[in-house]
Amino acid sequence: MSTAAHGFRASLGVQGRVLHALLLREMLTRYGRHNIGFLWLFVEPMLFTLGVAALWTAAKAYHGSDLPIVAFALTGYSSVLLWRNMPGRCIGALWSNLSLLYHRNIRVLDIYVARVLLEFGGATMSFAGLSILFITLGWIDPPRNILEVVGGWLLIAWFGAALAITLGALSHQSELVDKLWHPASYLIFPLSGAAFLVDALPTAAQEYVLYIPMVHGTEIVREGFFGTRVHAHYDLAYVIPFCLALTFVALFTVQHTARRVVPE
Amino acid sequence: MRLLANRPSPLFITCVIVPTIAAMLYFGLFASDIYVSEARFVVRSPSKAAVTSLGQVLGGAGLGGGATEESNAVVEYLESRAALTDADKDKLLTRAYSAGTVSRFDRFGGLLPANLERFFDYYLGKVEVEPDTTTQVLHLSVSAFAPNDARAINERLLEQSEALVNRLSTRARSDAVDAAQDDARAAQTRARDAAVRLAAYRNRAGIIDPEKEAEARLQGISKLEDELASARTQLQQMESFTPEASQIPYLRTQVASLQREIARRRLGVAGGRNSLSAAAARYQVLLLDSELAAKNLAATLVSLQDAHAEARRKRAYVERIAPPSLPDYPIRPRRLGGIVAVFVLGLLAWGILTVLLAGVREHREG
Repeated sequence: MSTAAHGFRASLGVQGRVLHALLLREMLTRYGRHNIGFLWLFVEPMLFTLGVAALWTAAKAYHGSDLPIVAFALTGYSSVLLWRNMPGRCIGALWSNLSLLYHRNIRVLDIYVARVLLEFGGATMSFAGLSILFITLGWIDPPRNILEVVGGWLLIAWFGAALAITLGALSHQSELVDKLWHPASYLIFPLSGAAFLVDALPTAAQEYVLYIPMVHGTEIVREGFFGTRVHAHYDLAYVIPFCLALTFVALFTVQHTARRVVPE
Repeated sequence: MRLLANRPSPLFITCVIVPTIAAMLYFGLFASDIYVSEARFVVRSPSKAAVTSLGQVLGGAGLGGGATEESNAVVEYLESRAALTDADKDKLLTRAYSAGTVSRFDRFGGLLPANLERFFDYYLGKVEVEPDTTTQVLHLSVSAFAPNDARAINERLLEQSEALVNRLSTRARSDAVDAAQDDARAAQTRARDAAVRLAAYRNRAGIIDPEKEAEARLQGISKLEDELASARTQLQQMESFTPEASQIPYLRTQVASLQREIARRRLGVAGGRNSLSAAAARYQVLLLDSELAAKNLAATLVSLQDAHAEARRKRAYVERIAPPSLPDYPIRPRRLGGIVAVFVLGLLAWGILTVLLAGVREHREG
């Protein structure tokens, strides 16, 4: 048992080093060392969020509550970036990294996990940075319950990661996934809870909207941020089994793909 | 991946077997039966006009707001601490939820210390109010560990909601009617005061209506003037035709006294300090006051009547569609379903962890 545990720890160490190396490589290949370099990792989503916040503020978008629109855009759009960018990066990730698979210790899953971690870091830094900036400027109040925000954020990330790995692995087998993801991501965006509060919807629509898993996460993040000012609707008994099942699917698709992958 | 070959792996035991056995113990032995009593009711408030099809579309889109103020108030009230403390005045809820017959895991105060905040959380888990925006019907369901408790608590909450709606509606009605009544009362006193002032002035001045009196006096004056004119003519005639007539001095005195009387009477009608015209100015002011006050009184009386009618129309009340039911079968917990759910989730978690750990093991030193 102790040797098995020791072997496992060694393997974990190797995997940690592999992921670290992959992360660095990914950052360098994507952002290079020009101008601000890897800072783009979170500056890019920040600009996105800032733009959307500015646009919504200018348009005085209706969102069905009396929350400040900046806070609404920040919590909503950051959540979208979190679950939408992960699949975007993972689709086709294997094709550009096929040569790496000659290394024995670089497994297919590692490539996806590295990209997912990178996106998670970028989106999280952007969300945290903008939150701190807006709070310092006095545009929004500090979150009421930071732990709840973190929990909701991790839930969205879990869903995003499972979705990303599933789609990434499937995209290696069929180009259709790549083609369908773009329209699908734009279609899901308005339904994802970023642009509305579930409470503002009629009861009949709430029931259907709550079948969409990211809505729950966004609602939790908002409840953590605004406390009792919003009446959040979410059901952990639905999202967590959903994410569990999706993770299961993701891992098996990766295994399936890994068995078929041909290194260049 | 090693399935249940001869000895299940530690991972399988922690992820699947232990949780499933725990679920079996809980659902099979410990979990207390939960009875759910349901009531349906409508909060009627006729202030809301008949819903048009457009209104329905807007309400359906979440813009028009489907529910009425009163029914929103009922939902908010039922989910508040006030509802709990009101319902628990004679410890009905405390007794029902922390009875010794309820298993330690489900009882209030069984595992965690009992305090009011926790009881409120617990209460929110047992009471469910669901507004139906399209039909405006409110569903109130209460879970308890005995059928009678469930119904009694439901009944009590429903009564409290009724009391709340009655209170709100009485308040809204009495507010409007009270204001109108105050106005009417003020107008009444003003009208009465004005009339009293006018009457007092009449008594003091000793005149009923200066204008009519002036008319009468002027008529008297003109009669005297006629007499004066005829007396003068007679005097002139006598002086020119019979200058020696014995009546002439008599006529002269008559003319003179008539002239004096006319002058005196004219002074009484206009000009002097005690003349009628001076009295008329004061009288007009008082008369105008009195007339205005009377008109004002009439107007406030009409608006009071309107307020009464509006209040009758505004009456909001709770209409029971289905009274709290007496459950005869515990529909929760879903024992088999719970065990199966735990088993399936455990299997999923085990599957994920197995693949992940196997993935980690594929990395080797060297």
